[in-house]
Amino acid sequence: MERFLTIDKGLMDNFLERVMEYYQLIAPVRTEKGVLFEYISGKEEVDLTYSGHTILPPKKFFFPPVEEMFVYEYEDSGNIRLYDLLDEVSKGKRVIVGVKPCDINGLLVLDKVFTGEYNDPYYAARRKNTLVIGLTCNRPMEYCFCAYLNTGPFIKRGFDILLSDLGDKYIVEVGSEDGWKLIKFNLDLFSEARRDDVEEREKLLMKVEEDIRSKGLPYFETIEGALREKFLDEMWDEYGKKCLACGKCNFTCPTCRCFTITDEPNPDLKSGKRVRTWDSCHFLSFTRVASGEVFRRDRPSRFKQRIYHKFVYSINEIGSISCVGCGRCVEVCPAKINIMDVIKEVTFGVKPLSAKIGED
Amino acid sequence: MVSNPYLPKLAKIESIKDEAPETKTFKIKILDEKIRDSFNFSPGQFIELTVFGYGEAPFSITSSPMVHENFSITVRKMGNVTKGLFRLREGDFVGVRGPFGRGWPLEKMKENDVLVIAGGIGLAPLKPLIEYIILHRKMYNNVKLFYGAKTPKDIIYKDMFDEWRKYIDVELTVDFAEKDWSGHSGPVTVLFKNFQPSSDNIYSVQCGPPIMMHFVTRQLSSIGLPPEKIYFSLERNMKCGMGFCGKCMTGGRYVCKEGPVFNYSEVKNFLETPV
Repeated sequence: MERFLTIDKGLMDNFLERVMEYYQLIAPVRTEKGVLFEYISGKEEVDLTYSGHTILPPKKFFFPPVEEMFVYEYEDSGNIRLYDLLDEVSKGKRVIVGVKPCDINGLLVLDKVFTGEYNDPYYAARRKNTLVIGLTCNRPMEYCFCAYLNTGPFIKRGFDILLSDLGDKYIVEVGSEDGWKLIKFNLDLFSEARRDDVEEREKLLMKVEEDIRSKGLPYFETIEGALREKFLDEMWDEYGKKCLACGKCNFTCPTCRCFTITDEPNPDLKSGKRVRTWDSCHFLSFTRVASGEVFRRDRPSRFKQRIYHKFVYSINEIGSISCVGCGRCVEVCPAKINIMDVIKEVTFGVKPLSAKIGED
Repeated sequence: MVSNPYLPKLAKIESIKDEAPETKTFKIKILDEKIRDSFNFSPGQFIELTVFGYGEAPFSITSSPMVHENFSITVRKMGNVTKGLFRLREGDFVGVRGPFGRGWPLEKMKENDVLVIAGGIGLAPLKPLIEYIILHRKMYNNVKLFYGAKTPKDIIYKDMFDEWRKYIDVELTVDFAEKDWSGHSGPVTVLFKNFQPSSDNIYSVQCGPPIMMHFVTRQLSSIGLPPEKIYFSLERNMKCGMGFCGKCMTGGRYVCKEGPVFNYSEVKNFLETPV
């Protein structure tokens, strides 16, 4: 379905207002800390002007940091009852607006993981009840490298509607039947796009792509072989020493989805709930079994697990690498480890200056 | 409504039996008759057991795959969930998910000798295999069990060996012998001393602590077993059982759904060395 319309910027507020009559709206909001996706209560909170990425990816609205899965409760008769909280998750319809191509691709990766051979019903329910309105980038940030992964700035699928900022208006691409439904009842706000508008978007995105592609990175699809060869390379010891194993890269990553499952009993000890919580492959406890054995004890092995899962194991798992080039891990790393440096070192064998250990 | 694979099926503890210090076998009955009847498993598969309020942990099924009324797990008191489980009594509620994973290669091993090697509580996932073989004894050639435990007290399924010896060879060893122990002593590898495979048609299956599997695998390779005939069951932190949580991933493979049983030739291709 290729269909283009435009909407004047002044009318976007009206459109979002109408959307909010039927849907819960999630949108980027500017705060002191930066731009965050939040549930919106008034259209004036929405900020569609942000460059680069939000602090956290939209992942948390589909796979929340803490998911309450079910409640158990002993009845007075001594019987036990389970209340599935999945029923709650399935309720309500949502629209998330302002999702960048890298993050849309992040959701497509999670789709393959969570709705592949097995179905994760919590994730699937939230995905099903949420429409995605994408937003392309006009200006890449220093940390952006999507163009090397084909996860941006151009995007072909994964959105119901896609917006591109053309100055005084947005060009709107309809990506699905559901997206079209959202527009068709509000057609008074939209105009048919002119050929010029489509061409302008093309030019804009080509410029963004060009800017990103000045970083001298390899195309990421080609690095699997080099990574396989370098599994035992000394370079990992250095990164391992530098890494603080804090897990920030995992928690800000649009495709990291590892979790743990625990019970939280209530003080009465007669009831409680089961929760799943984001976990990190960098944590020592991640692979610990009851006997105390930890299967990835040394830090380089944990550092490698994230890199190898993204760029090697993922190919077998879901048919593609699972990095989308958003650059969040580059931004947040307290040890200033830059995944682009890691990839350059693997591919070209050269240690980039910024990756020298102990010199920040 | 969508069925939720994270929701445990309610079950009750039917009986509890002491096996060894801090080690008990729990017989568990799923309450719903339909679910109970459709609960089929293959030797080597595992379940996720819920102890409400303590959480969930993976356990190998240790009972015979032919029994449908109930199933058993053998548990050593080790972590949070097992501590909770040891406080429960007969008739108490638990939850069950599964079975999960890939079990022992029953079909491939047919018409072959089978060498079963177990260390400590590692005999648990091999017991249903032994019972399957005994029930289909004619389909398998020479079958031998090498079992090692720390001390005679730590041997599990003590009352099973006489029955098993009617059908298969059983050799036991303990790391630390006591006065009344007349059998072998030393790690399970001492049982290989006079062992030579009688033909090339032999498979080995093993489960035990990682260090045991490391040396046993070396021993098996040195007597000529090819990597694709050396099988083991790997222990990992498996939270979901469906390849989602990522905790059991080893060298790119999900131990929960692709294993826990792997052969050595598969494992040798893992980037990470799991054994």
